[in-house]
Amino acid sequence: MPIVFTIDPADARPIYVQIMDEVRRGLAVGTLAPDEPLPSVRQLAADLRVNPNTVQQAWRELEREGLIYVRRGQGTFVAETVRPEHERRTVSRHVAERALRDAFRHGLTRDELIATLEQLEPSGTDITDETEKRNTKGADR
Amino acid sequence: MSSPLPTTIDTEHPAVATHGLHKYYRRNRALERLDLTVPAGAVYLLVGPNGSGKTTTMKILLDLARADEGSTTVFGLSPISDGPLVRAQIGYVPEGRIPGYEWMRIDHLLTHHAVYYPSWDEEYARSLIAALEIDLKKKFQKLSKGEARRVQLVMALAHRPPLLLLDEPMDGLDPVVRDRVIEILATHLAETPTTVLASTHHIQELEKLADHLGVIREGILLAQSDTTTLHTRLKRYRIEASSDWTAPESLAAAIVRRNGSGPELALDIWGEEAAVTADLAGSGSTVRQVAALNLEETAISLLSEPETVS
Repeated sequence: MPIVFTIDPADARPIYVQIMDEVRRGLAVGTLAPDEPLPSVRQLAADLRVNPNTVQQAWRELEREGLIYVRRGQGTFVAETVRPEHERRTVSRHVAERALRDAFRHGLTRDELIATLEQLEPSGTDITDETEKRNTKGADR
Repeated sequence: MSSPLPTTIDTEHPAVATHGLHKYYRRNRALERLDLTVPAGAVYLLVGPNGSGKTTTMKILLDLARADEGSTTVFGLSPISDGPLVRAQIGYVPEGRIPGYEWMRIDHLLTHHAVYYPSWDEEYARSLIAALEIDLKKKFQKLSKGEARRVQLVMALAHRPPLLLLDEPMDGLDPVVRDRVIEILATHLAETPTTVLASTHHIQELEKLADHLGVIREGILLAQSDTTTLHTRLKRYRIEASSDWTAPESLAAAIVRRNGSGPELALDIWGEEAAVTADLAGSGSTVRQVAALNLEETAISLLSEPETVS
């Protein structure tokens, strides 16, 4: 399977939504392409240690949205008609909404958040774990 | 003031249903008016402090204990009048060890056990024995708590029963085996239509398998619901409010748990999110965050409800 599904029980999103979002993430980053197979319900349930009904629910919703389809006896596949660009925009909106909610919890406005985003390194490659980064900074001082 | 928490589950196909179960051990209340509903195909977690009636409930389903009052059905049958039929459909992982069989070697114990179940799947039993690294030559009495648990899981799962009763199934297992057991259960559910009723103190480990939660304290079922409803109706609201802020009348009964005394407060509130947020804002507070609770937080929140006078 080209994509590794990751879910987090502590996440506010229900698990079936996280599984749906993982498919969108795969399409957005390109590890999943139109017409490629998705894992079986049994396989993904075992891998993620989740109730098979939860995987079933995610597949059902994605099918309803037209992102995936079931080929009788062969399994579940990404729809040919999927446009990864469109999924990129959806993923982007979700990430932005989460960031905005987090900003508001910290008493920050949208403009403050945007201003800070623009000051950040534009590389997009700084993926160090946040705690790690803070610890290193502390050691520098 | 009546609690808005759900205490009934609507289903046309209950695998387990109890009605008004009362059970006292001498003067100690074990269960009071217990109406437990486990829909067919559900994975129902029963959570509560020690001695809250979880084990007693499972024993009543197997007719290993009898209620003083009330009725019980398992797939429409009575555990009392149809005991053998009911027990044949149940895989049971008991809380403790298996009395009377301590002297048996594991392979003999499993062979003996399999005879009672026509649906025993020997190939599946072998794969479980391998996956759980069970030493068949050991005697049951020589097993540690965790090893005994693993044997009991094979005994419960290998005949692929329609109903699994798991009483603290993770007890005594090390983290790696616990993870493997969850994987086994997830696979089992995908392969075999099964209803599960499990009690546990390790909510986080079973959270991803569970689709129903029941919260019990001192024999009283405080709430039971599907987890989707819990996830959408019970939220944690972080608010800023002046120190003399009081909750609006409309929410008084819906606040399940309260943390802090101002200016910052965290309130676990049962209700429709938009309406609750509006009520909070209307009472002069600023709602900073609305967060969903995971299943463990949900259980803790529901169990923190003050004793209701009945």
